[in-house]
Amino acid sequence: MPSAPALDVRGLTIRYGDTLAVADLDLRIPTGQTVALLGPNGAGKSSAVNACLGLLRPAAGSVSVLGRPPSAAVLSGCVGAMLQHGGLPSQTRVGEVLRLVRGRYPDPWPLDDLTAVTGIDGLLTRPVDALSGGQRQRVLLALALAGAPPLLVLDEPTAAMDVAGRQTFWQTMRRLAGSGHTIVFATHHLEEAEAVADRVVVVSGGRVVADGSTASVTSAVAGRTVRFRCPGPRDRLHELPGVTAVVDAGALVELATTDAEATLRALLSSHGALPDLEVRGTSLEQAFLHLTGAGR
Amino acid sequence: MSDLLLFQLRRVGRNRQYLFFTVLLPALFTIFFTQVFGQQASSAAQYQDYARSYMVSMMAYGAIGAALGATVRLSFDRASGWLRQLRVMPVPGSTVLAVDIMVGALLVLPSLIVVAVVGRIVNDVQLPVSSWLGLVGALWLGSVVFVALGLLLGLALEEQAAGGATGICSTVLAALGGLWVPIQVFPEGLATVGRLLPSYWYAELGRGVAEGGPPPFAAVLVVTAFTAAFAAVALAVARRRPLLAVAG
Repeated sequence: MPSAPALDVRGLTIRYGDTLAVADLDLRIPTGQTVALLGPNGAGKSSAVNACLGLLRPAAGSVSVLGRPPSAAVLSGCVGAMLQHGGLPSQTRVGEVLRLVRGRYPDPWPLDDLTAVTGIDGLLTRPVDALSGGQRQRVLLALALAGAPPLLVLDEPTAAMDVAGRQTFWQTMRRLAGSGHTIVFATHHLEEAEAVADRVVVVSGGRVVADGSTASVTSAVAGRTVRFRCPGPRDRLHELPGVTAVVDAGALVELATTDAEATLRALLSSHGALPDLEVRGTSLEQAFLHLTGAGR
Repeated sequence: MSDLLLFQLRRVGRNRQYLFFTVLLPALFTIFFTQVFGQQASSAAQYQDYARSYMVSMMAYGAIGAALGATVRLSFDRASGWLRQLRVMPVPGSTVLAVDIMVGALLVLPSLIVVAVVGRIVNDVQLPVSSWLGLVGALWLGSVVFVALGLLLGLALEEQAAGGATGICSTVLAALGGLWVPIQVFPEGLATVGRLLPSYWYAELGRGVAEGGPPPFAAVLVVTAFTAAFAAVALAVARRRPLLAVAG
């Protein structure tokens, strides 16, 4: 018999009053995977994550974490979590909090390594109230890792980090994934999903709208928009390689393409000059509309 | 549980303002008011009565501030997200609550003991050893009523409101409960209000024991009833409003 999946979510439904945050969501994550829950704000990612951690009681459906109910899994110490609205206790020092939390786990992460991995070695004697936003996030990550848990659940972990902080953070995550940890993280940054995950689950309107390997999902959502001034005829533009849509924008024209390079090559050879050329990434919101079919 | 208990005690112990208002201030009041008004006593026995009574009042005052101040911190920990963080670590919610009750109960002791020591040494309050122990013990046990009230405030109120509410509560409980000025000199109406408060009966509990008698039955009854009521409401609030900030 294979071991229990890291997460087994069936028919999860979460309501806040009359608002349906998560609607009949199914998700099964085997151990060892690194999975991004990708979706715009308000998609229901946090609600789903909170239900997986036992912080929210679902209106319907079931959640099983490593074969156990969420709160039992948390109490047994096999889950580490970084919450979007988690926090640190005032009037303490970083080292004290870390000692308390590590002491709660059966087999904690060795302190020296933990502080090195999370980049907080210099902060142990620092009062918690004197930390910067980025430092707080790193300490919170250290708390999530303190028990060396097999499953890590992270809800928009890089929200308060600067660019350098993000890079270090995702390097750490890749290393952890490489050593066999299961990592599930919610994000609304496509690049973060691309950089770390081997599977991307796109959540929108409380449902899973796409689920697959990172490559397949990102190619579906990571299109480009090519825009230029186009006084001439436009009726053949949709035949250009890669073009999936042609949008009339007055004097300008906008082409949605899955292969911007091929589209541009073909355009340059047929049009010669492309005044006011602009190439942009499709925003995630556009991509979601595309995936959910609302954009067609 | 002891790890979390020590952790929480250290946090409060670091708060100098807390220590000032719950330990130092009642001790200073005890000295000041006894030295000022105690001198007007016409006999040594009258002085003893006054000094003892005022010392018990200040022990009660310090205990109320300590119990409320320690437990209302729940609302700060909820606002900072720390309670939520604890929920995703191997720390049962019941442990968190139990530790906060213990912290409240333990932190009452320094106020009681320091004021008693000051009363004995500076103001020369004379009591048999058994009465000293009984006094501290009775006021310690009785302080559970204010621990329960503090938990109720900490659970029910937002961070910004909780601090102010604690201050107002302890001031009202002390002033109207006759801890600063004895209820005997209150106008009739105000004295009636004072007798409706748990703080009045809490101090009565201490005075009865300090005079060498058994704990006054009425005081025990009222303090117990208030404790039960505060605890029941606190539990009801905790059930309706779990220990976490609401967030999508």
